[in-house]
Amino acid sequence: MATASIEIRLAAISATFHHERRGDITAVRNLDLVVKPAEFLTLLGSSGCGKTTTLRMIAGFQKPSSGRIWFGGEDVTELAANQRDIGFVFQNYALFPHLSVFENVAYGLRVKRQDATLIESSVEAGLRQVGLQGMADRMINELSGGQQQRVALARAIAIKPRVLLFDEPLSNLDAQLRVLMRSEIVRLQKELAITTIYVTHDQEEAMAISDRIAIMDEGLIAQIGTAEELYQRPASRFVAGFLGSANLLRGTVIATGAGKTAIDILGHRWELSGDSPVTAGRQVDAVVRPEALTLAKQGSGLSGVVQRRTYFGDKAEYIVRVGEVAIQAIQWNPSLEDEFGAGQQVSLRLPSSNVQLLPA
Amino acid sequence: MAASVHSTAHGLIRPEPWLRAGGLLAIWLLLLILIVYPLLMLLSRAFFDDGQLSLQALLAAVTAAKNLRALGNSLLLAMMVGVAGTLVGLLFAFTVERVSGARRFSRLIDFFTFLPLISPPFTTSIAFVFSFGPRGLITYDLLGIKGVQVYGLTSTFAAETLTYFPIAYLALRPMLASISTGFEEAAFSLGGSRWHAFRTVTLPLVIPALANAFLLLFGCSLADFATPLILAGSDFSVLPTEAYLQITGMFDLKSGAILSLLLLVPAGLVFFAQERLVAGRSYVTVTGKAAVSAQHDSVSTAAGLALLGFCILMSALILYFYLLLFYASIVLAFGANHTLTLEHYRVIFSEGLPAIKDTLIIALVGMPLGGLYGIVVGYLVGRTTFMGRKAMELVSMLNYALPGTIVGIAYLLAFNDKPLALTGTATILIACYVFRYSPIGIRTTIALLQQIDRSMEEASQSLGASHLVTFRRVMLPLILPAFFAGLGVVFIRSMTAISATIFLVSINWTLITVKILENMTEVALGPAAAFSVFVIVVVVFVTSMLNVLLKRLTAPSLRVGRIGA
Repeated sequence: MATASIEIRLAAISATFHHERRGDITAVRNLDLVVKPAEFLTLLGSSGCGKTTTLRMIAGFQKPSSGRIWFGGEDVTELAANQRDIGFVFQNYALFPHLSVFENVAYGLRVKRQDATLIESSVEAGLRQVGLQGMADRMINELSGGQQQRVALARAIAIKPRVLLFDEPLSNLDAQLRVLMRSEIVRLQKELAITTIYVTHDQEEAMAISDRIAIMDEGLIAQIGTAEELYQRPASRFVAGFLGSANLLRGTVIATGAGKTAIDILGHRWELSGDSPVTAGRQVDAVVRPEALTLAKQGSGLSGVVQRRTYFGDKAEYIVRVGEVAIQAIQWNPSLEDEFGAGQQVSLRLPSSNVQLLPA
Repeated sequence: MAASVHSTAHGLIRPEPWLRAGGLLAIWLLLLILIVYPLLMLLSRAFFDDGQLSLQALLAAVTAAKNLRALGNSLLLAMMVGVAGTLVGLLFAFTVERVSGARRFSRLIDFFTFLPLISPPFTTSIAFVFSFGPRGLITYDLLGIKGVQVYGLTSTFAAETLTYFPIAYLALRPMLASISTGFEEAAFSLGGSRWHAFRTVTLPLVIPALANAFLLLFGCSLADFATPLILAGSDFSVLPTEAYLQITGMFDLKSGAILSLLLLVPAGLVFFAQERLVAGRSYVTVTGKAAVSAQHDSVSTAAGLALLGFCILMSALILYFYLLLFYASIVLAFGANHTLTLEHYRVIFSEGLPAIKDTLIIALVGMPLGGLYGIVVGYLVGRTTFMGRKAMELVSMLNYALPGTIVGIAYLLAFNDKPLALTGTATILIACYVFRYSPIGIRTTIALLQQIDRSMEEASQSLGASHLVTFRRVMLPLILPAFFAGLGVVFIRSMTAISATIFLVSINWTLITVKILENMTEVALGPAAAFSVFVIVVVVFVTSMLNVLLKRLTAPSLRVGRIGA
């Protein structure tokens, strides 16, 4: 695009609401965030974490109770939504039911009083970009949910906004369509190179779609990073548990240093690469992903008893009891030979690298 | 390319506060002057004598045998009309929604049920006299009965049932459509008979709607003034006519006020019962597709034919009445001299012309005012928050909920003398119609706004539109159907309603409906029929035009049903 992509910066943004019975509620607390030019950033969190409120403040639908919002070098905090030059895609599409597909996409251009022939070519191009060529004359109620979301997308990008904002846009679509639409959204975003913020509660969607993910909890960003960073190196127990599933194994550091750590875990000595965040003698929580564990009939790992086995075809999921602790393990591509039934004695082999240690 | 427009900084701009404050103030002022003040005048006239609280007149009125009889008659009539009208309405609704093949007739049935709703109030009564009166087509010409007595409870009851059952039909039909036939099929598959399925499944589900329809009709009959005035006769007096006669015959404003208040007691009870019914019940709306799949065997073929036959017979009866009315307007003297003539039309367009002109002016001026008032109040109540929002909604509904007789007498008391001597002016007639019938526009606006998500406004803003542009390009088109509904109702009622405005007409400003009444009392049946035909033609024409306009202006997904229905 002709315009250079811009950076979005939130500086100490807060949102406080007044509730009749519950008093003041703070949905977002002193949040700082920098979205790089042309980046696709996702705000991920469960409902009530403040992600939608943050997005609505960036859009200008809601005024922050404190803090500033910057689009590039411009402070937009006091600007109304209609002066921020944003493209917003709503969860319920929010298409204008009294207008045709064409007129919906053209709406922003008409408001800007663009030349009619220019509008026509822009709308055609926009509809082509979302795969809706030939649908311009349809009314909104004649479209499927997926088509409606494509119109909403075309309408948002038609005004060539500086910023694209998505509020759970795919949550009303069925699973297959969701997968299709998210790859199209990524393709379009890369093509247009518009700085984008996307809100969702679906972690798989977030991982599939984003350059970086900000996991939010109670009005704050718990951690921000690429999907790999968040999954491999969760900074907190919350993040470890929120993204994928994780076993949190508590142990005591025996020795650490020079890129190696030894931990006493459930009476077993476990050696792994990497330094411990705490010194010898202190407790740590090791974040161990279920698929990093290997089950064997016997071996040098943790010995335990299979409590339950669930077969999914592509994987088998085990709950293994080691002493008082229940540990989840996943075997990918399970073969019939190494199957373990409930009640069977097994040895759990712990990974020797790629384990995140958190101070207990 | 887009980043250049952002040099000016603006705060979050809300719609100009002074504009809204001014609008609110103006509406409250109108509500106080045109709704609250007249009602207070009515109450003070009934309860006070020379500034002293005095219940003597009230007690005397309440204990007078004549008045008690009128009250009893009113209640009896309303009860009968409520039951019979609901039953006929249910049969019609059930036939259209459940009898296979009946859907083909549904447009026809809709038309015949639409006619009584848009006709002047005397239409059915006049046709009744033509048909069953002393020189009636059926009683005299066909059966040869002489000296027949048409006036009384039976004819009033029959005429009102015929006039008001379409209201029950309109209330019950969507209800039946929304009940999935799957329920009936489930009961049927469990071994119940069709009648059993209807009795144990369908009927219990429509009982709230039935009760609602009954209350609607009860209220209509209770407030009906025109039908009993023509058909009830002197032996069967009801409250609205009794109050009218007190005021116009005896010039006794106080007794009239007290009598109209007697009417308020049952009317108020009905109103609150209805509010409770609507608030307390969650109406079963099952799947949206139910109406389409309703073609199946809910009833046996024989029962279906019987139901269809009944509906066709009733429709034929309505058609017969309207044809009779038309026929009476083009013969010299119905019942005596059946020579074809346009004399009656010449009369109404010469001597009757002032009334026609007045009525059309009042209806055409009131129509846009009412439509506008409806969406403005509806928007304020439905989309904004301010102190006294609930109070405004309630007050704006008052004149609509009260029987016309009460409203008319209240207006007469309030606007007969200074400081607001407006009785007999076009202003007060228009105000009466606008504030009495715009609540339908208000309710439609509120209902439409509830369906429009706030994200619609936000989407428009995010695309660069200001609040004003958003209102004009998004909100206004979306609430346009409510505006048209408001226009239609105010126009139809301005052409046809009489119960309130009969107290407000004068030599300078009069109404077609009042002329019809005069003609009837002078036994000038021809002009009365011609006037009625004229009103029906004008109303059908104008509502059709409004419907065409509405269809052109709005998307198919937004229609809220036909105007006038």
